[in-house]
Amino acid sequence: MRTRLSGADSHLSDADLIRLADGELGSGSARSVLGHLEACWQCRARLRELEGAISEFVRLREEAFAPAIPAAGARAMLRARLSEEARTTTPGRFHISIPALATGLLVLVAMLVTFGGTVNADGPKPRLSITPGETRPVSLAEVCASSADSAADPIPESVRLQVFAAYGMDPAQADAYEVDYLITPELGGAYTVRNLWPQPYSARWNARVKDRLEHRLHQLVCSGQLDLHAAQRDISTDWIGAYRKYVGPGI
Amino acid sequence: MGSSLQAVVGLLVGTGRPGRSALEEEVTAFYDAFRGPLLRYLASMRIAPADGEEIVQEVFLALFRHLRDGKSRANLRGWLFRVAHNLALKNRHAKVRHAVVEASGESVDPGMNPEQLAVGNQRQARLLAVLRALPEQDQYCLSLRAEGFRYREIAEILGISLGSVANALERSLSRLSRAGGEA
Ligand SMILES: [Zn+2]
Repeated sequence: MRTRLSGADSHLSDADLIRLADGELGSGSARSVLGHLEACWQCRARLRELEGAISEFVRLREEAFAPAIPAAGARAMLRARLSEEARTTTPGRFHISIPALATGLLVLVAMLVTFGGTVNADGPKPRLSITPGETRPVSLAEVCASSADSAADPIPESVRLQVFAAYGMDPAQADAYEVDYLITPELGGAYTVRNLWPQPYSARWNARVKDRLEHRLHQLVCSGQLDLHAAQRDISTDWIGAYRKYVGPGI
Repeated sequence: MGSSLQAVVGLLVGTGRPGRSALEEEVTAFYDAFRGPLLRYLASMRIAPADGEEIVQEVFLALFRHLRDGKSRANLRGWLFRVAHNLALKNRHAKVRHAVVEASGESVDPGMNPEQLAVGNQRQARLLAVLRALPEQDQYCLSLRAEGFRYREIAEILGISLGSVANALERSLSRLSRAGGEA
């Protein structure tokens, strides 16, 4: 049984009570504060008053600060502004300037060089010598414990730049490309440059399409209809072929 | 070959992105989730509703650029409130300067006071008065705490120390509880 020896001085401060209620006390302090509360009616009553102030504030806030304007118009406006933002920041929009033309020709040459043998009508493919696709050691259980579209961490800018450099591309054109994992991490793909390649947003076979394949492969692997290694091999050697094989003939 | 040529032409004339990008969709999803809480927070900062709506738009345009540039995705909710808070301060600053010019030196409370009308009863009106008499930093801390932020997140949003957050909450809840007790 706890005895208070020194009168009001030994009561808990409002700060301690609030931090306790907010779960912001370290476990040591929380224990001693809780010990005091068990023994002390005054402090319990004070805690209740503070909680009362919190409820009143919450209620006041809901009444006084409720957003009144319906969202639809504002939402449409934001959508329009986002499109505008996406457009205006794509280099060379509506203007074919000489520098842009020169850059474009350079990129064309770079693409001819880099994608040389592997370009077909479906768009550029990852180059095996740069992006063979890499996996990390991962068990089937781990793969299937995460959902097929659980978001991977964003690819750091420095890594994106490495990928563009490896493909001999001008980083100024980066906005038109998505740097994408060849073997998706959800199928055990590694977080390495050798598993990353630049995919143009404009390609018909783009990252959105590849997402569908990845989803399908995850399903097949986790329902035991396809071996994980076979899925990794097929998506890394020819993902478009894999799409036709596992999802369907067309997009 | 055909489509890589297309891609280059796309880069030149700006058709490089088809329709809406995944990023636009993502930012819209964030907007749907956080417009309400951000507007509420801005109202608590005494930003007029129309200004609040405009600030929220700017916040999500900033989010779009932030994510497009590959910047950190850590605690995006806190990031949104921090950007909104700073834009609101800027907006109020501009408003005060404007008002001072208009009223030739008379000091004008920029947010005076749409919410007073909305408050139902006397007791709440009194609480609101107590709330408004608190230092602004304390009001921000209370509102952010009510949005469910932890002390460390509040400190990051407002750019103050953890101790200042705890003190602000102690001060304001002590005063509010006394005001409630006087009923
Ligand atoms: Zn006590």
